[in-house]
Amino acid sequence: MNMALNASIHRKEAWDKVCGRAKYADDLPAADHLCARLLTSTRAHARILGIDTAGASALPGVKAVLTGEDCDLLFGPLLQDRYALARGVARYAGEPVAMVVAVDEPAAEAAARRIAIEYEDLPPLLTPSQAMLPNAAPIHEKLADYKRVVSDVRPEPGTNVAARHRVRKGDAKAAFARCAAVIEKRFFLPPSDHLAMEVRAARAEIAADGNVLVTTCSQAPYTVKKQLAEAFKIEAGMITVRVPFVGGGFGGKAPVTLEILAYLASKSVGGRPVRLTIPREQDMASFPCRMGLEATVRLGADENGMLQAAEMEFLVDCGAYTDISPNMAKAIAADCTGPYRVENLSCDALCVYTNHTYATSFRSFSHDSYTFCVERALDALANRLGFDPLELRLKNAVRPGDFTPTGVPATPELTGDVSRCIEEVKRLSCWDGGRPLSLGGSKVRAKGVSCFWKSANPPTNAVSGAFVTFNSDGSVNLLTGVVEMGSGGHTQLAQILAEKLKLDPAQVHVVAHVDTRVAPEHWKTVASLTGYMAGNAVLRAADDLIAQLKRTGAEALGCAEAEIEVADGRVYSIKEPERFMLLKAVAQGYQTPGGASVGEPALGRGGYMLKGLSMLDPATGKGRTSPQWTPGAQVVEVEADLEACTYRVITACCVLDVGKVVNPAATRAMIAGGMSMGVSLATREAYEYDENGSPRAPNLRTYKLLHIGQEPEYRVDFVETPDPTAPCGARPYTEHGIIGIPAALANALSAAFGCALDGLPLRPEAIRRAIGGAP
Amino acid sequence: MIPFGFAYCRAQTLAEAVAEYARCMALGKTALYYAGGSEIITMARAGDIRPDEVIDVKDIVECRGMERDELGLSIGAACTLNQIKEAKLFPLLGLACGRIADHTNQCRITLGGNLSGSIIYHEAALPLLLCDAEASLFGPEGERRVPFADVFQGRLRPLPGEMLVRVRAPVWALAAKHAHIKKTTNEKIDYPLVNVTALFYGEALRAAFSGVCAQPFRSERMEAILNERALCPAERARLAVAALPERAHADVEGSGEYRAFVLEHTLKKLLEDWELGSL
Repeated sequence: MNMALNASIHRKEAWDKVCGRAKYADDLPAADHLCARLLTSTRAHARILGIDTAGASALPGVKAVLTGEDCDLLFGPLLQDRYALARGVARYAGEPVAMVVAVDEPAAEAAARRIAIEYEDLPPLLTPSQAMLPNAAPIHEKLADYKRVVSDVRPEPGTNVAARHRVRKGDAKAAFARCAAVIEKRFFLPPSDHLAMEVRAARAEIAADGNVLVTTCSQAPYTVKKQLAEAFKIEAGMITVRVPFVGGGFGGKAPVTLEILAYLASKSVGGRPVRLTIPREQDMASFPCRMGLEATVRLGADENGMLQAAEMEFLVDCGAYTDISPNMAKAIAADCTGPYRVENLSCDALCVYTNHTYATSFRSFSHDSYTFCVERALDALANRLGFDPLELRLKNAVRPGDFTPTGVPATPELTGDVSRCIEEVKRLSCWDGGRPLSLGGSKVRAKGVSCFWKSANPPTNAVSGAFVTFNSDGSVNLLTGVVEMGSGGHTQLAQILAEKLKLDPAQVHVVAHVDTRVAPEHWKTVASLTGYMAGNAVLRAADDLIAQLKRTGAEALGCAEAEIEVADGRVYSIKEPERFMLLKAVAQGYQTPGGASVGEPALGRGGYMLKGLSMLDPATGKGRTSPQWTPGAQVVEVEADLEACTYRVITACCVLDVGKVVNPAATRAMIAGGMSMGVSLATREAYEYDENGSPRAPNLRTYKLLHIGQEPEYRVDFVETPDPTAPCGARPYTEHGIIGIPAALANALSAAFGCALDGLPLRPEAIRRAIGGAP
Repeated sequence: MIPFGFAYCRAQTLAEAVAEYARCMALGKTALYYAGGSEIITMARAGDIRPDEVIDVKDIVECRGMERDELGLSIGAACTLNQIKEAKLFPLLGLACGRIADHTNQCRITLGGNLSGSIIYHEAALPLLLCDAEASLFGPEGERRVPFADVFQGRLRPLPGEMLVRVRAPVWALAAKHAHIKKTTNEKIDYPLVNVTALFYGEALRAAFSGVCAQPFRSERMEAILNERALCPAERARLAVAALPERAHADVEGSGEYRAFVLEHTLKKLLEDWELGSL
């Protein structure tokens, strides 16, 4: 047994980062670059009657001014509904309307502010339910004409429905009639932001021979290449996309946005290199954010608390453009019940246009949002029936023999052990039965629980790849298309490779930056699938490498390949271990003491493509979107002041079935990071819009994140039910810490204050309103 | 990024700073006195201001440092919030400075900047209003010493071309019983939803407020109510809130009605602690 697994090694990029030397997209030298800046819409919904760029063009140093009239191409990963620069209509406040390319940033910025736009306001639609009203004007008049990139996005022209996913199982109607308790709840969750520390940035240049180079902070460099190639009719081989470290992505850097603009900017100045930067305020208001959600959840249970039926409607507020939101609606449909057995189910998950900033993937891909609704509803049901909310969840937890909402049979290997997670979190949190504890005066302590599961929604044919080469000291280099954005993927892959090659993980050097010309394609660094997809590719590359080493070793030692073992930096015969060669002596082919050359240089390569996934049936939702599920359970404890309506989060516990722990410290940190993000989201964060649809104060002076020093105590523990199809049995875990925290917090606060808190964020003012303290 | 060029002048004396300011005005240019710069940078970035010149006053000896003598404490306008906090010479002012922005910004924001800026809270002003501080200003007409409350109405209101040089707090205030209570929407490092700052002159409670209304203030009427010790704390708190000089402020951080609720609750707690002798 090698020591590469279950080892808390430092991250591969740790020294670079803690010394401030890690380079991000906009840190690279830019002396020869022109600068581009954007002008964005001040209106949530308006016809653009005219744009006067003369004043901007006349300024010294200005090289080009672009508007929507300069590019009639539509973009979008699933449904092509978005112009690079608004053309004819601006559909959200913050939408890029014009772009200036100039010799430096001040010139570009000054020129952008000189552009005059004449708008004619159109009525904005600011909530999904408003956009769903029969008389609501469609935000996209030409919805029927948009190109569908994938077959399972089905927009409904004449309405604001961009996509709809249905799940139908059993007979919900009949089952409700048999229930001893039925509860129904409505939810309204506002959009919010990713707020990665690194503000988005991109650069582009077009060489004289037509080769395009894009440098960007993308989580999806291969998608950037593909979309640019398809949209602009460039041969994909002519495009190189480079991604250095990414300073936090959280899903917000998965869409292709600035790259398109940077390419257009470079094209407008004859291919000269252009650097497009945006201030934080534009990063927030203009580029995709976290989705909002409206939902109605109806649950029914028998007198024993066993769930009998569920009826759910989810309206995803995707904002003005779809981006990846139809798939988030699909993800909700696929996992909508949470990790519980519900045999009679009806769920509609819709993706609805509004005049908000458009949404994209956000850590957990909608699971945090729908989980909030389902888990609040479960607490209401437990209240109604007089059950301990944790015990109610344990009763209903998915077990072998049950099915997921889309009809996939649950097995421990596939869906993990939900019950163990609940039992372990009960212990870890010193669960109190869900009853608040009075501390005297107006203070109480209360705990709330939430379970969750998460599956992924990759394309059914998503791929990954890995190359492994040797250094002269016998150490190896690992090259993949995985972007390192802080989620520890590179380190996990190094550990997987070290384990397989029986090397010290320090002997695995990971190529830190992605260059699409060099690294094998990795679909996208999203969905927590790095360890699974790239990990499987790494294992295959290692197998390939070992086979080559064995061939060379067998020839050099004069024995059968089957006798050869590769371990601890040596190649040897298992029959005569004292006869060995150092790995470094074999890696590039072996030279005998007499000078004869034996074998070939060893070069490992591994490719991996997802298998066994399907589209969901449009009528019933039947199908399978994910290689596996990762379940978990969380408990949040609060100390509340009932009189002041204030509270503190004291502890947050999480037990996750990670399959197998590869790096305990890194896994704990990643999960606690997710929990922290969940606490921040649930207690503070929201995009607030005024009645005209303009975001109120989209800046970090008023949009507050949880600051260090105000964190609760995080307790993280693991259940290990291996996934046999995954490297080392490890399930995806990187996003998951966030998922149940908002729900567990709302459950704790609802218990503390004795009222139903069904919205986010849980600010004291909202609590006071909910307990009826405000007029 | 500040998308425009501007001149930077580092003045060595008060006279030099004021003369440079006057020179700019005469040329029809806009100038700003500059010390920490946090607000100038933010507002210039956002396009809200576009000064032609900034006049850095940090080198001017009169604007620097703190001096304690038998009559009180004098604080230079260019002292940073963090310097004031760490000096521990005026505990109540130190508490106020320690809750404005985060530590990084406390090391940059100056007392003068917090009093003069356009952000409406000016929390460092509250202890100065309560202790009858004196302000020293310097302008085209030379030095002027006035009660701080005379030049601080909602924000510091110097005469054209005039700059704040120092403030002086009387010695009694440096050791007086006090309380500083700041309530925010939820995040600790934030603008105040309600800031109640209290200082006791003998057994008389003085109180000033920020966040509650659109500008910080001290109200004689509210102080009179709070000192009606025959009434119970809850009643005094209720009456004091009813006596707000203007409507409670409403913005993205909280509604006016909610601010009034938080103020009432905060005052009640403060008065109860006073009654219990636990301040």
